[in-house]
Amino acid sequence: MKTERDPATGDARSDHDLVYAARDGDTVAFDALFYRYRDGIFRLGLAITKDPSSAEEIVLDTFARAHRALARLEPDDSLRPWLYRVAVNLSYNRRPRKNVVLSSLDEAADVAMANEDGSPSHVAEKAELRRLVLGAVEELGPKHRLVVVLHYLNGLNLTEIAEVVDCPVGTVKSRLHYALRRLRTHLAAHPELGIEPPRSLLATGFRAPKPITAPLPLEDK
Amino acid sequence: MRLFSRGCESRQAAYLAGADRLGARERLALEVHAGSCTECADALRNGRPVDTALRGAFASLRERRTIVAPGRVRLAVGSVVARPNPWERAPRVFGRLAEVSVMVGVTLLAVGTSFEPPSAPSSSLPVTQTMAQERSRGQAPLDEIDYLRWVRLVKSNDTPTVSTATRLLMGAFDSDPVEIQKTPSPRF
Repeated sequence: MKTERDPATGDARSDHDLVYAARDGDTVAFDALFYRYRDGIFRLGLAITKDPSSAEEIVLDTFARAHRALARLEPDDSLRPWLYRVAVNLSYNRRPRKNVVLSSLDEAADVAMANEDGSPSHVAEKAELRRLVLGAVEELGPKHRLVVVLHYLNGLNLTEIAEVVDCPVGTVKSRLHYALRRLRTHLAAHPELGIEPPRSLLATGFRAPKPITAPLPLEDK
Repeated sequence: MRLFSRGCESRQAAYLAGADRLGARERLALEVHAGSCTECADALRNGRPVDTALRGAFASLRERRTIVAPGRVRLAVGSVVARPNPWERAPRVFGRLAEVSVMVGVTLLAVGTSFEPPSAPSSSLPVTQTMAQERSRGQAPLDEIDYLRWVRLVKSNDTPTVSTATRLLMGAFDSDPVEIQKTPSPRF
C-alpha cells in the first residue's frame, strides 16, 4: 500500500533555502512552500471573504504572485508575513461574487466541527459558545478583526502581524488591546463564558449588550 | 490634569498578558503593578478568559484545509515553474547562431556580386561562329545552289552592315550587289 508523506512537513528546509532552490528551478522546493502555507492562507482568505471558493482563488493568486516575485524575494527567516500580506490585500480587493450567499465565521467553523467527537449536548454547548465568540469577532471593525484573526487563527506574533498589516508593532498592540477589550464587553453579556464586564464600565452603570441571537450581519460596516 | 480619564497606561499590557504576548520580565512587573492598581488587576484577571474563549472558538477553524494543488499555480502563472539551466541551452543557441551567420554570409555574398561593374558591351564581343560556318568558309562547294548559299554566307560576314540611316534613305536592299561568280560546272 502506498504511504503518503505529509507534504506540508515533508521538507525540513527553511523558507530561505526553499526560496533560493525554487529560484533555481527546483519545483519540489516551490511545492514544499506551497504545502507549508496553503492552509493558513486559505483560512485567512476564508475569514475575510467568508467564501471558500474565493479563499481558494486567493491561495492560487498569492502563490502565483510569489512565483513571479521569486527573483526578488529575500526572506530573512520566514516567508509567512510576506505571503499573508499579499493574501490580505487580495482578500480585501476581491469583489464579492454575485448570487453567492456568504457564510459568517461561525458557519465556517460549523463545517470544521462536523466530525467532532463527544456527547450531542456537549458538542451543542461548544458550538453555541463558539458561535457567540465568533459573532462578537464579526462585530469588530475590519482593522481590529484582522489583527485578531491573524493572531488567533493564523498564530502570527505581534512582529509578524505588524509586517502583514504594514504598521508599527505598537499600533498592533493597541489594536489587539482594543479588540480584546471590545470582545470582553460583548462577551460579558453571556454569563456562561464567565467573563466580567470591565470595571470602568461597571462604575458608569454598565448594562450588558443584548446577547447575540439573531443571524449576524455578513458584510463589513 | 486630564479632562477625560484614559485609565492606567499599563492596562494595554494587562490585556496583552492575557493573550500571552508579554515576556517573563514584563509580566512580573505587571503583576507587581496590578497589586496596587485595581484596573490592571481586573484586566489581568479577565483577559485570560477572553483569550481562552477566542482560542477555543478559532480552534475549529484552524482545522479547515484546502485541497488546492500546486499544479494549479503553475497553470495560473502560465509557464512551467522550472527554469532550465542556461548552459543546457548553449549547444542549441550556438547551432542557431552558426545557422544565422551562414545565412548572413550567403546573403551578403549574393548582394555583393549583384553590385559588380558590368563587363564590356556585347557589341565588342567577337562574333561567334558556328562550326558549320567555319567549315563551309574553308572551301567552296561545287554545286551551284550550294555555292550561291556559300557566297552569301561568306559575304554577310565580310561586307559591312548597312546602317539604319542608309536603309531608311535608300531601301533595305540598296547595298552592293552580290557578285555571282560563275564557275564551270563539272562535266560528266
